[in-house]
Amino acid sequence: MTVQQTTDARATDARAADARAGGDQREYVIETSALTKRYGDVVAVNDLTLRVPRGGVFGFLGPNGSGKTTTMGMLLGLVHPTSGGARIFGDPAGRPATLRLVGAMIETPTFYPYLSGRANLRYFQGIGRRGLPADIDRLLTLVDRGKRADSKFATYSLGMKQRLGIACALLGDPELVFLDEPTNGLDPAGVVEVRELIRELGTGGRTVVLSSHMLAETELVCDNVAVLSRGRLIAQGTIKELLREHDSLRLRTTDNAGARTVLKALPWVEEVAEQDGGLAVTAPQARAWEVSRALADRQIYVNELVPVHRTLEEFFMEITETDPTTGRVRT
Amino acid sequence: MIGHIANLGLWEWFKLRRRWMMWILLVFAILFAQLAVWGSFFSYQNLRDTGGELTVPATLQQQQGRVPRTVRCNDLLSGDPARQPTDLDAQVTAGLAAQCRAQAATLPARMSRAYGNFTLPGSIPNALGTVQTLGLILMAILTASAIGIDYGAGTLRSVLTQGTGRWPYLTAKFLTLAMLTALGLLVAVASIALSSTIAGNLAGAAPDAAGVVATWSDAGIALWKAWVSILPYIALTAFVTVLARSSAAGMAIGLGYYFAEQLIVALLTNFFSWFQNVADYLLVRNISGWTGGAGGFPGTVLPDQTHAIVVLAVYTLALGGIAFWLFERRDVQGATGGG
Repeated sequence: MTVQQTTDARATDARAADARAGGDQREYVIETSALTKRYGDVVAVNDLTLRVPRGGVFGFLGPNGSGKTTTMGMLLGLVHPTSGGARIFGDPAGRPATLRLVGAMIETPTFYPYLSGRANLRYFQGIGRRGLPADIDRLLTLVDRGKRADSKFATYSLGMKQRLGIACALLGDPELVFLDEPTNGLDPAGVVEVRELIRELGTGGRTVVLSSHMLAETELVCDNVAVLSRGRLIAQGTIKELLREHDSLRLRTTDNAGARTVLKALPWVEEVAEQDGGLAVTAPQARAWEVSRALADRQIYVNELVPVHRTLEEFFMEITETDPTTGRVRT
Repeated sequence: MIGHIANLGLWEWFKLRRRWMMWILLVFAILFAQLAVWGSFFSYQNLRDTGGELTVPATLQQQQGRVPRTVRCNDLLSGDPARQPTDLDAQVTAGLAAQCRAQAATLPARMSRAYGNFTLPGSIPNALGTVQTLGLILMAILTASAIGIDYGAGTLRSVLTQGTGRWPYLTAKFLTLAMLTALGLLVAVASIALSSTIAGNLAGAAPDAAGVVATWSDAGIALWKAWVSILPYIALTAFVTVLARSSAAGMAIGLGYYFAEQLIVALLTNFFSWFQNVADYLLVRNISGWTGGAGGFPGTVLPDQTHAIVVLAVYTLALGGIAFWLFERRDVQGATGGG
């Protein structure tokens, strides 16, 4: 899959030019302000203030029931917020004219079961006045090589439905694309293909909002992420920034007990814990030399000093208080 | 905005024409129209061949316990002994012949009326009376299905994220269904016209008698009335489908209400005379009042046409309005199953 197939080059250039020219006005494609949704006593989204920068792939992460899909629903005008507001391209979220610049695949793709994949795309292209009929063949080729385009949607496997859902989200070459769990039901080769596609979609000024449980995949394609838990935003930023905040060092010394006391006294060390006969020190990795010097000043010498890079998954598990063995949020 | 709704309507047609259901419903409408035409044709043929038939109850037959039988007036009045019924008492036969002689005076007018029921243009209002009643049921099924599938398959989410807008989408559905009703009726009328021409040729020349003759204007009015009478029923079905987010609920109400209302009116009017006043504001009675069709029970009078059209307009606006209000303000969830 190549981006040349997915996008019309002129449209991409125009979008990029627009991004440069209108950068001040549209620095953020999505802005929410104290967005809240309640279902009776249940608060699905709680006071969410979020900004999605223009361009690139934005990861929208959170455990099941954290409010990701409800938030996307509010942004797309499907769900009415209880309070707060949301804007897309500076316009109130859900406005039909704005939605025509947006592509979306939310949860399981839904299409008319008695129509073929091609007919479904023609229909959605028609009602949204998105692009030209010729685009459909290109999109079908892009996501499924057009293999089952003329079979009824009801006969599709989950993976094929996902591919058709992605094709539908790309109709009309939208500036903003929401993809909710786009790799569900895909085989490993399909996952790689879709990952490449998402990465390429996020270029040229277009913004992709990706919600996924596949954190390893997300880490590979996303520039920025927001993490939701129990309806609240608990972290937002670039992946590098977020992971850097939680950098740590693994340390073995000639006197671990003494080293612990020394390191705990340093203002930029967040935490020191014993781990596997050594110490796990939460501190910026760039200051590793200062750790070594502080210990040496107290005649404690380092046997081993290893920077430990956290994965997005480890970071996610920690901040969402998810039990790594069960995958459920600890209550 | 008009262009946008027209575009949505065209794409609604794109979806509907790919469903077998719509074509099957149309076939039913045509079949019922044909039944009305050919039923009238055979009724006329029978009247012409028999001069009218009289039913002889079992109590008047010599051999007790037999089922009621019919005798032909042409046989009784022929004077030919071979054509007289042999199993009836002479007095009974004489009585029946007297009845036939009395009816013979009105026979030309009855034959003329019967002839007009299957030949143009009288066949159109006659057959549309049948098609209109069936049309209520058929359009209830199509409306529930066309609106309900977006809930059942969850496609409403995909549709609305295309930027269609909620009320334009529902408006387009309503308009498309209303136009399909008109087209369906026109197709039925075309089939009536075709079969009427054939039946007229088979029946030969019209009976020579002055009778009530329907005009082309009557045919046009019948078509207009049939179309208008179906619109409030579409609104009722759409309202229930949107309220329950289910095509099954819409179909159940669409199919059941027509009969349920008539049953309830018959029962309650029997027990409470004041219920007649309430019944005059019910949907199906006003549909019947508007079309001048069936629906009135013995001892009850259907609402007049002005009253009926006002009540039907209120029903259409109220039910349609609530459907729009619910559609506009409710959150859209995933698929509910069904279709």
